[in-house]
Amino acid sequence: MPDTFFDAHQRATVEAAMARIIPTDDTPGAREAGCIDFLERYLSGLGYIFAKPDGSGFETLEGRSAEAWMRRVTIMRQTYRSGIEELDARARAMDGVDFIALPPERQDAVLRAIETSGGDDAPSAPADQPALQQTSTEVELPFLPLLVTHTRQGFYADPIYGGNRNQAGWKTIGFPGPASLAEVHAGRYTTLPYFADGEAEKVKEFHDGL
Amino acid sequence: MASERRMSKPARTDAVIIGAGASGAAAAKVLCEAGVKVVALEKGPWRRKESFGGDELANINRYSLWPDPLLNPRTWRRDTSDEARVDLFCPVPQMVGGGTVHWQGWLPRFTPDDFRMRTVAGDLPGATLADWPITYDELEPYYLKVEWAFGVSGQAGANRFEGPRSGGYPCPPMPMSRYAQKFHQGCAALGWNAFPTPQAALSRPFNGRRATVVSAFAQQHGDPTGTRSSALNVFVPDAVATGNYDLRPDSYVRELVLDGQGNIRAAVYEDAQGETFEQEADIFILACGAVETARLLLLSRSGRFPNGLANGSDLVGRNATFHEYSAAVGTYDDPVYAWAGGGYVSASTFQHYGHDESRGFVSGSHVAVAGVGIPLPINWHLPGAPSWGAEAKKIDRDYFSHSLAVAMVLHDMPQHDNRVDLDDEVVDAWGLPVARVTLKPHRNDLDQGRYLIDRGADILQASGAKGITKVYADRVTGNCSHQHGTARMGKDPDASVLDRWCRAHEVANLYAVDGSPFPTGTGANPTLTIMANAWRVADRIIAERGRARTAPER
Repeated sequence: MPDTFFDAHQRATVEAAMARIIPTDDTPGAREAGCIDFLERYLSGLGYIFAKPDGSGFETLEGRSAEAWMRRVTIMRQTYRSGIEELDARARAMDGVDFIALPPERQDAVLRAIETSGGDDAPSAPADQPALQQTSTEVELPFLPLLVTHTRQGFYADPIYGGNRNQAGWKTIGFPGPASLAEVHAGRYTTLPYFADGEAEKVKEFHDGL
Repeated sequence: MASERRMSKPARTDAVIIGAGASGAAAAKVLCEAGVKVVALEKGPWRRKESFGGDELANINRYSLWPDPLLNPRTWRRDTSDEARVDLFCPVPQMVGGGTVHWQGWLPRFTPDDFRMRTVAGDLPGATLADWPITYDELEPYYLKVEWAFGVSGQAGANRFEGPRSGGYPCPPMPMSRYAQKFHQGCAALGWNAFPTPQAALSRPFNGRRATVVSAFAQQHGDPTGTRSSALNVFVPDAVATGNYDLRPDSYVRELVLDGQGNIRAAVYEDAQGETFEQEADIFILACGAVETARLLLLSRSGRFPNGLANGSDLVGRNATFHEYSAAVGTYDDPVYAWAGGGYVSASTFQHYGHDESRGFVSGSHVAVAGVGIPLPINWHLPGAPSWGAEAKKIDRDYFSHSLAVAMVLHDMPQHDNRVDLDDEVVDAWGLPVARVTLKPHRNDLDQGRYLIDRGADILQASGAKGITKVYADRVTGNCSHQHGTARMGKDPDASVLDRWCRAHEVANLYAVDGSPFPTGTGANPTLTIMANAWRVADRIIAERGRARTAPER
């Protein structure tokens, strides 16, 4: 199954926009973490929706679930196609060049212009909502909140999905994620060392992983 | 050929339980162990623990566990003048084990006053407060049974506001997280009682199961290790071991049909291949969760019940309550790692739980500490922070390990017009009308919510938080996945759907054992009480069958 969706220009454009969502500073950003590869895999079809829980590959979707996911991917592909066109159209209107040819500050200006043009009715990104528990219906998001959501997912999801390269996202924020999904699956992954002082020691006898 | 679609009739059984989540599996265990033959019809799959993993993206963002909103949508509107929109309102995993598959399992007991809130608080205009037809004392033995079946980790007597206990917890409290430590410090400084949140996880090896690994992938993740406790890894195996439990996953009940006497004759369901079956039984027990239980009753229309099964009172679906989870969020100089253990290995207070008239609103709720929202890298977000750009990244870096939330489980008031009914436009992937939720907060919900969030901020301040953000709840969004009240139990058939044994007033062989019988939502996490109540009802059903068997022939 192919794991690409964008053409070269689309890919470069989205990658550049992602690099403004999570910029590179003294720590890696979306570009170094490979967020674009994460997104390409996602939009490529049904081959990379759910990793197998032991990390040995990806699930094969069937039946209603496959139909729902194909609908979802199709909607998001269209959101990205038109979103990329909008990035270029706004860049040309502002500075006469494509989005990728703009300096970072001007790229930010384009993104902000899209953000503020959404109107009051546009659903906001999950990240704009208060500290809740629930997930959102991703497909309803307009281009920019969808891009923000996917950049964040690409930066912080398990590396098996193609982003978070070398756990760059996790290292940036100090999250001690598992070496692989297999570690969690086998029950070897624990966060007890991050509990209060001495707590892990108290229960050490019950835990192989410590 | 559609015109010749034949309905298969599997062998008749003693009891059909619709749903194999917390309540359905609890009832199944008890009935099967007493020799009752049970057929369980579960809409979703029967996943084994090996199918679960530490995958935030799949479990939280891609509906591996949550219902897929394209297949199982719901709709929400504020009131009848509002247009309903598709919304993932109060979702619960639809699979064997239900919500207990992905919960962290906070298992506080309700307090004695929770069972008589109308008497305690009096009449609240606009609300439909009602006393429960049962008391804490009646339920107490069943609380203990569930706590011991699950190996709950907790500290008996630590919650000063808890009712009397006939026994302690089977496992000591979970290890102390750094965020729980902050909470205890804050409460101590304020002179408030605090206690380790009782949890459905094994702090010690128990009953042949290992102690919990304390993974970060806990709340909202399935557990591949079997060290958290759930209906899937406790009640279901217990029921299966009896040989009396015929659990049929991927079996979607479309309707309950009546016989000539007005009892339920059969459940009509569709399997994964789309074949339709009629399962007959002596009794039928609904355990679909309060939203889906109401929906199934309303879908089951007949000449006798044109407005839905057992709905002569027009109360099916009404008085729905959902809690609301919101928080005051604090940041600290020192790390609190509020993602360790999934962010919910917690500490709690019931200091503001009981009703106190001087506060100017009815009741209160459980207040506890947790990570901020879903405290894992993808979904963590500090309230008020930008969602992208250099500043957003900096906040992730600076505060991911240095923030926590003191949250409430709002005790929202039952209201006649807050209800679940059938949407007149949206259908699910099986072609049936979806549940439509009509819900407007009561003034009391907003006042109580503000008060509790303010008390959360007090705890943050008293524990040395540097920055504090209050996130007041301005509506009830169903974000707790808690749901109650849609078939309230009571003594009066005109004012309730079920009797004190959770049997329908109008249909002699129909029971509901999920949250739907709860006349009030209370301010505490409901699943312990749901399971204890299901156990109580199952015991009653067994006793009734015994009486019927030994009764002299007439």
